[in-house]
Amino acid sequence: MFAKLQQIIKNRILHLLVLVLALAILLQACAGGTATPTESSAGQDHQGVLRVAMQPIVQTDPAFISSDPEIIIASSIYDYLVDVTPQNTIAPRLAREWTVSEDGKTYVFILVENATFHDGTLFTAEDVVWTFNRLRDPGVDSPTKDIYSNIDQIEASDQFEVTFTLKEPNPFFLYDLSDNHALILKANSQDPGSDFIGTGPFKQVSYSPEDRLVVEANEDYFLSDRPKLERVEFIFFNDQVAQVEALRSGQVDLVMLLSADLFITLIGEQGVLPLRAATNSFDVVRLRSDRAPGDDPRLMEALRLATDRQVIFDLVLQGYGEIGQDTPIGPMYSQYYAEDLQLPARDIDAARHLLADAGYPDGIDFELHTPDTGNRPNLAVVLKDQWAEAGINVDVIVEPESVYYGDEGWLAVDLGITGWGSRPYPQFYFDTMLVCEAKWNESHFCDSELDRLAKIAGTTLNEEERVEAYRQIQELLVERGPILIPYFFSQLGAISDKFSDFVMKPFPGRSDLSTIRLTDQ
Amino acid sequence: MTAGLKPTHNALGVAPSWWRRLSLLGGRLYSRPVSAIGTTITILFLLVAICGPLIAPYEENEILASEARQPPSAEHWFGTDNLGRDVFSRVILGAREILVLAGLGTLLAVICGTLFGLLSGYRGGWFDEITMRIFDSLLALPALLLALLLLGTVGQSKYSVLIVLVIVYTPIVARVVRSVVLAVKPQGFVDAARLGGETQTRILFREIMPSVLPTLSVESALRFSYAIFLVASLGFLGVGVQPPSPNWGLMVKEARTFASLVPWALFFPAAAISIVVIGVNLMADGVKRVIGPEQAD
Repeated sequence: MFAKLQQIIKNRILHLLVLVLALAILLQACAGGTATPTESSAGQDHQGVLRVAMQPIVQTDPAFISSDPEIIIASSIYDYLVDVTPQNTIAPRLAREWTVSEDGKTYVFILVENATFHDGTLFTAEDVVWTFNRLRDPGVDSPTKDIYSNIDQIEASDQFEVTFTLKEPNPFFLYDLSDNHALILKANSQDPGSDFIGTGPFKQVSYSPEDRLVVEANEDYFLSDRPKLERVEFIFFNDQVAQVEALRSGQVDLVMLLSADLFITLIGEQGVLPLRAATNSFDVVRLRSDRAPGDDPRLMEALRLATDRQVIFDLVLQGYGEIGQDTPIGPMYSQYYAEDLQLPARDIDAARHLLADAGYPDGIDFELHTPDTGNRPNLAVVLKDQWAEAGINVDVIVEPESVYYGDEGWLAVDLGITGWGSRPYPQFYFDTMLVCEAKWNESHFCDSELDRLAKIAGTTLNEEERVEAYRQIQELLVERGPILIPYFFSQLGAISDKFSDFVMKPFPGRSDLSTIRLTDQ
Repeated sequence: MTAGLKPTHNALGVAPSWWRRLSLLGGRLYSRPVSAIGTTITILFLLVAICGPLIAPYEENEILASEARQPPSAEHWFGTDNLGRDVFSRVILGAREILVLAGLGTLLAVICGTLFGLLSGYRGGWFDEITMRIFDSLLALPALLLALLLLGTVGQSKYSVLIVLVIVYTPIVARVVRSVVLAVKPQGFVDAARLGGETQTRILFREIMPSVLPTLSVESALRFSYAIFLVASLGFLGVGVQPPSPNWGLMVKEARTFASLVPWALFFPAAAISIVVIGVNLMADGVKRVIGPEQAD
């Protein structure tokens, strides 16, 4: 009886094992079907699979994307009306040419006529009108609604012609049209966050949140010689060290947004090409100027006098960037950059005297808040050491980026370090960070002279006048500004030598993946 | 050896003095090589923690800008890190932070756990039920996860880490103490004390506590080693302590990004964590063996 029971159980277990094995093989086959490159999707001109390591994305609707990974994915699937080159000039994309009226208020764009969306629909002027109306719609509440508030009217003047009419002249309007969010969507898209229907060089294949997003070559792309690749896989990593290790071991092919410490470890690595782009990205140390103790400008001056920029540049950036002059206009804006500004040299005694005059003869204590990303924690540690000599005692508070920027906490703290990305023109920094009504005026600075000069620089069509206004702004900030900008950092990355023709842009998320190709063997 | 220290009362019903117990324990720990090594390591690290500022050649956060990323040398025994800080000084001065934090946390957890364990085991009833169910629910979560949850709630500082250690380890100590109390409670001398009209406090601390002490000392040593590990782990995860603290876990985290260029900045704090944890564990194992398995289990 017992032996029979044993035999039955054995048989059952055997059947179960066979079933499990069959199921496992079936699942593996299904998984293999999506993970391995398929022959059918590739045309003869598209070769190779590029695997890009990056932080996980959250937003997929172009109107709300903000991080580099979100932007590089979206700009692979969608197209801009006009694009910005690595040299910061404006280049055609879906608009092949344009004209500007003499008063600088009317822009007419002639569109390409052979672009189609990934579902086969023809791209027309209606799509441009719908996209930009959505971006400036207060109901949608995209971060772009302020940028486009100067637009009076957008109309499709022909099937492939769009006319923008502005309320006031804006010399940077073409750059505004190339804002990170201004990717052209199909008119009347119901759910742009999950449709992934663009005109871009790649079509979305699959998206597994926190894991990867896969795109394949768009066979009908309007630029016939692009893309070169058959497929791109964006693989998500939370940890930058893990990204670099994955590149070393050949699990991924491209990493960007590297810290200088990690970048140095990749120099000389076999099979890896280092990437470096000069940018206007900077970390700003700012003191709230609307309340004590920062409302006394001598405090900020003391912080500046106690700072040794060269040591910071050597230790924190390890030479990858430029030394800053406490203004957001860096050497990248060669026409506006005031190279001859004279910043006072480090002077601990002078800093101590200023503190004493401001009512802090025994020194002052601060909490220095900083996000945990990039070089910022290192900058905070070096500043703590340098300022301590002048009696400025700092407790460093390193917070995850989501906490630092969450609930607008970064706008509330007295002393903080914030990272600002590179933009193709400098007006953005003044309009969003330093004028009285700026949305992200983290130092709560308000100076009527700066506002006047920023207004001139942002509206005049006379380039000489703009150069002069920017020069005066830089002098003003050095004299009484609430910010300390110790450096502008280079963007650093690395790519496998199996690929070529990739140019990393100052804003890495805006780099064009459609030009990358497999290196000839 | 296995006979161990007779834990409670001698023939006359008088407990041996604390000093006598300690010296007996010490002597027996040093009679086994492995326990002797563990005890010596622990004592050495405690001495380093106490005398750190006298030994360290530099301040913990002193930046020597021109000497960044130097390999170990006569000038910098453990080399310098990416910001030019002397790694030897930071490891030495970090011992105080991590051992004080872990030690204080363990001490508070042991005190709280003992009180809850004694009361819960002796009184029983609803107090025992409620306390143990609360502790069970805390024990159901892994220590590190519970620590991260608590730090996310109470904010990040050294004091928060201390609170976290107490909350994480009190239930474990309480459970161990309670189990000993339950074994001792039915014994005659406890009944005799109760019938003799002794107060509850006196019964708990004069009659029952001596039986708990051997097990408690093993448990305390083990908790101490886990606490060191937890403090270092939290530092590595970037919570609890803030830069530029010389917390060994935080040092490992910071050095990780440039490990291939400045490996010594990662190796020495990591080695310090390993050695002290191994040392305390060996000592705890020795204490357990000296006291006797029947007491310590």
